Amino acid sequence: MSQNRLASHTGAVIDFTFNGKSYQGIAGDTLASALLANGVDVVGRSFKYSRPRGIFGHGAEEPNAIIQLGSGASTVPNLKATQVELYQGLEASSVNGWPSVNFDVMAIVGAFGRLMPPGFYYKTFMYPKKLWMTYEHFIRKAAGLGTAPVEADPDTYDKLNQHCDVLVVGAGPAGLVAAREAARTGARVIIADEQSEFGGSLLASQQTMDGVMAPRWVASLVAELVAYKNVQLLPRSTVFGYYDHNFLTILERRTDHLGLSSAQGTRQRLHRVRAVQVVLATGAFERPLVFAHNDIPGVMLASSVSTYINRYGVAPGKKLLLFTTNDSAYQTALDWQQTGRQIIAVVDTRSNPSGDIVAAVKLRGIEVIGGHGLIEAQGNKRVKRALIAPINASGTQVTGPVRRLNCDLIACSGGWSPAVHLSSHTGAKPVWDESIVGFRPGESKQQERSAGACRGTFDLTGCLAEGASAGAVAASLCGHGDGSVQFPACAVEDYIEQPQQALFLVPHTSATSRAPSQFVDFQLDVSAGGIELAVREGFESVEHVKRYTALGFGTDQGKLGNINGMAILANALDQTIAETGTTIFRPSYTPTTFGAIAGRDVKALFDPERYTAMHRWHVEHGAEFENVGQWKRPWYFPQQGETMNDAVNRECLAVRNSVGMLDASTLGKIDIQGPDAAEFITRIYTNSYLKLAPGKCRYGVMLKEDGMIFDDGVCACLGDNHYLMFTTTGGAAGVLAWLEIWQQTEWPELQVYFTSVTDHWATATVTGPNARRVIAKVCQDIDLSNEAFSFMDWRDGTVAGVKARVFRISFTGELSYEVNVPAHYGRHIWQALIEAGEEFSMTPYGTETMHVLRAEKGFIIVGQDTDGSMTPADMNMDWVVGNKKTFSFIGKRSLQRSDTLRENRKQFVGLKTVDGQAVLPEGAQVVFDAKQKIPMSMQGHVTSSYYSAYLGHSIALAVVKGGLGRMGQVVHCPLADGRIIAAEIVSSVFYDPKGERHHVE
Amino acid sequence: MLLIHCPHCQENRDEEEFSYGGEAHIVRPLEPEALNDQAWADYLFFRTNSRGIHHEMWYHAMGCRRYFNATRNTLTYEILETYKTGTQPTIVGASA
Amino acid sequence: MSNNSQQELPLNYFHRVSSHRGQAPNAEIFNGEVEYALVVKESPACAFLSLRGDPNDAGFCAAVIDILELNLSTRGNYHCSSQSRIYWLGPDEWLLVSEIDASVLEARLREAMSGHISIVDVSGGQTMVNLRGAPMAIDSVLKKSCIYDFAGWSNAGSGKGRCAQTTFAKASALVSNRTDGSFDLIIRRSFADYIALWMLDAGREFGLRIEG
Repeated sequence: MSQNRLASHTGAVIDFTFNGKSYQGIAGDTLASALLANGVDVVGRSFKYSRPRGIFGHGAEEPNAIIQLGSGASTVPNLKATQVELYQGLEASSVNGWPSVNFDVMAIVGAFGRLMPPGFYYKTFMYPKKLWMTYEHFIRKAAGLGTAPVEADPDTYDKLNQHCDVLVVGAGPAGLVAAREAARTGARVIIADEQSEFGGSLLASQQTMDGVMAPRWVASLVAELVAYKNVQLLPRSTVFGYYDHNFLTILERRTDHLGLSSAQGTRQRLHRVRAVQVVLATGAFERPLVFAHNDIPGVMLASSVSTYINRYGVAPGKKLLLFTTNDSAYQTALDWQQTGRQIIAVVDTRSNPSGDIVAAVKLRGIEVIGGHGLIEAQGNKRVKRALIAPINASGTQVTGPVRRLNCDLIACSGGWSPAVHLSSHTGAKPVWDESIVGFRPGESKQQERSAGACRGTFDLTGCLAEGASAGAVAASLCGHGDGSVQFPACAVEDYIEQPQQALFLVPHTSATSRAPSQFVDFQLDVSAGGIELAVREGFESVEHVKRYTALGFGTDQGKLGNINGMAILANALDQTIAETGTTIFRPSYTPTTFGAIAGRDVKALFDPERYTAMHRWHVEHGAEFENVGQWKRPWYFPQQGETMNDAVNRECLAVRNSVGMLDASTLGKIDIQGPDAAEFITRIYTNSYLKLAPGKCRYGVMLKEDGMIFDDGVCACLGDNHYLMFTTTGGAAGVLAWLEIWQQTEWPELQVYFTSVTDHWATATVTGPNARRVIAKVCQDIDLSNEAFSFMDWRDGTVAGVKARVFRISFTGELSYEVNVPAHYGRHIWQALIEAGEEFSMTPYGTETMHVLRAEKGFIIVGQDTDGSMTPADMNMDWVVGNKKTFSFIGKRSLQRSDTLRENRKQFVGLKTVDGQAVLPEGAQVVFDAKQKIPMSMQGHVTSSYYSAYLGHSIALAVVKGGLGRMGQVVHCPLADGRIIAAEIVSSVFYDPKGERHHVE
Repeated sequence: MLLIHCPHCQENRDEEEFSYGGEAHIVRPLEPEALNDQAWADYLFFRTNSRGIHHEMWYHAMGCRRYFNATRNTLTYEILETYKTGTQPTIVGASA
Repeated sequence: MSNNSQQELPLNYFHRVSSHRGQAPNAEIFNGEVEYALVVKESPACAFLSLRGDPNDAGFCAAVIDILELNLSTRGNYHCSSQSRIYWLGPDEWLLVSEIDASVLEARLREAMSGHISIVDVSGGQTMVNLRGAPMAIDSVLKKSCIYDFAGWSNAGSGKGRCAQTTFAKASALVSNRTDGSFDLIIRRSFADYIALWMLDAGREFGLRIEG
């Protein structure tokens, strides 16, 4: 039997290791209770001074026992030992302490604690500036809070979208009865609690409720809740964020308690809950007392000591000294006495403690020393003794001789702080209430109410009453029940308590600045002296002091330290706590794994991959793919042994010399119908469509209202009042929304409907001098002659047995036919065309070849050659702007703004490198004077650049200031590697400038 | 994460289904060419950036594909009403 | 009309793929002996037509009733007859799903209608899948996939059910319910592979198979 385990507590034995040493715990233990049972004092080292630290609390408030769980891919850093359920084979280690927690090198630095005041890093390591990176490296190595796994996370995570009428946060007394009242009305209820068992403080309570012990009362109430079909119970589930419009996030730990290796299925689940009403029953945290060396292992919260005794059967010491400012902590003296271990005394700061429970304690022969403070703890890795002294009534001064009391455990209680964190997430500012010596939740804009201890109601009777009422009212506001409490009140005997003393800093015989460190925030080593120093250095705002001293910055978010810290700050500033205010709590309430936040959106599901109907063919034929938006498009089709350049050169030559085929299905396609369709699209495009006849197509450019190009494409007239608009692949959704917003909000009088048909059509583009011969083999019902079916026409017909729409439009400069069929026939038509093209060595090609071919022709790609700051004139495309249109099309007025008319705007040109084999990198900057000193005057940049196998030299497209007036001039592109490539400004059309190629017979 | 009542679907739907459309009730000048650069820039670039009551467009992109308007308090993120395009808000700010 | 054998449904390559309970998707382990709590079945090819028009135009509504024997639903509903279904998509927008050939149906509707309307064949752009199985498993997969709250939907009845366009994982879907407690999803073709992979993953804890 472990040294601190009480004989009365038995259960299945569980083996585990901590910092490499083997221990045994009992089923139901947390790692913290098991460590305490085994008498492990030091569980970590503090962040700044590397002081040895022991377990202080028993739940989410724990500042010291931060551990790393497991090893390898599944290791988890930054867990609190008080929240880790013990399982067979658990391995854990401290996150701080090097080489070990018992011998820590940094502690030598810590011994000179006075040399590390707040802002130490800012003050010491800022100069010389360039050394900061070096300093930081070592500071981080020494500090650290565990290590993240370097391997991929092997576990699965989920996200579940939940909806409910009433979400109850916390399953302590208030939460449980709230859920029961709401459940009874038929409302949809979710109740979540971070612990493995529902019950909260009742699980460690010695009170009787309705004649049974509190834990039994809890069990029967939980059984009642389980029976309701409209209630979802979520244990091991932390509500960690409260967002707008009653949206809350819950982290459910589903398998963590089973051990990393034996776990199956979803490890953690993120519930994204939209609740109509929320009941916050999040309880309260006991406040530590701030005295000298209050961080030595063996100093704990009084309620934690009681919890370890009553719930886990662990007495974490031999000789207890209880130090309190209030009545509630006296319960710990009673609990301790029942273990049969020694209790030295109760030290109470109040001069004459006289409540019911004080009397009960005295009655059992326990010494109560009133009017005293425990001013200093002594010991190295464990408390050995305490110094106590009489203090004045206001608790500001030591007024008498110091006494030494030997003890190895100090339980302290400075009262209770409501857990207002979630309420604070809503933007509600907590309100200081002197009567409870704590912050109550403030008024919020959300549909929520707090009940019980988190609202500052600390007696059990009050908690139950508030909880029941909150549950009933919340349900009624969702339309369930009349808001009145239905269940009879539970019979509970509460002690009548006397007022507590508000004491946030226990005086010492020395002044705070001279006294041994009195810790406020254990995790980040913020002391009372540090806060006072920050004030002396001129910090006044609580938010600034927080950032300067790091108060509340730890992973515990200052759940224990904040109130004491703010009170000490208020005192130093000579103002009230209400005036000082509190910092804002933000999500997450406790640390949350990235795995849960990512959920199933990982690996292949990270982002949707959109496929065309021909995708499998591409895969089967070895295509490499390129991401275009969410689409996977074939990039190039390498043959055995080919590099990308080889493949692209081969594909380009095939198109120019014979015929190639491209999967163009991804282009956006919008069907437009209505009597005002032509008028509408004429307002949207820069050119006119009023006279476009059925069977004809036209290329158009769209501007945003600021005159800048945002999409382009061909628009075809399908019939009377019926058009088909093509958009860029990436711009499809944006263009549709653009059409809708103008029609719906600006010109509702124009009768026109838009329907996306992007997914409906699969498109195979057959292009090259032999394109007509290929099409002719599979299409007999369209006259393909130049006269009957000319450039920029479209025809209905049958291709390979499928009804198709064929467009004679070209993005390569060659004779082209774009064959469109309903996508279910996409693969069929592709294969039929491949077969038809065999005798012409028709070559499937990808987006890279498409880019080269269009660049040879100087065709722009919106988003590559333009960047949202280019007008048609900038792109040398004035020909596409219909200035004579009667209606002022979108963006037209902006083309006359002084900035768009400005000379020396960047203009679209071609660049031909002087060394024809040198290919400029896209994005390279263009300068006029290669010899200019850095920083050079940047005159433009390369937007597209390729090697043209057909032309035998590299080609580039660029935007250059005043470029259209600089034809023939040589410019320079300085590269990151130091080379400077010279290039001549030329026309952007490198190939077939007269446009004769697409008319071949 | 806002909860937005779509006046067309007549249901509360999650913000995920919507995209933001910018300030509402900005009318495009009927004769843009008649405006000087200053007046055109006012239409083009300047928005009220309200503190408090704000009227704005939302697009039910994943749902009915309709634009509609919302009156939202930019301080609290409360959505006070949603209403169809072409209709007027019933709630207006002091200095709207 | 084109030959059916030339068609390839969007989920063609997923038919007979399954995620055995607790394991990764694997085509080989599909067999009749294994129990699956969830089955996703892709419907055979049918006509999908987008219909736009003014619901206050009596002639427009009458034409729909005349040809499809169905009312134009007013919001978040669909109506179905033996051959066809009509889903509400927006205040002036519906989706017709029918066993009647798309071009035949479009021609009939156009003949019966006048004024400002729009009819677009979008048959190649979508596919309909039915998700059936244990109610708890269906509920879980829908909660994993959609932000929409389906709890308020009572079971579909008398040729009428509920429908909603909403997000589905990181794509979108038109979701509707059936009288048998199963759900239909109409999804876009280009997202079909993603949604199939998603459902296999989301349904893995129950076991899910996809059928053609």
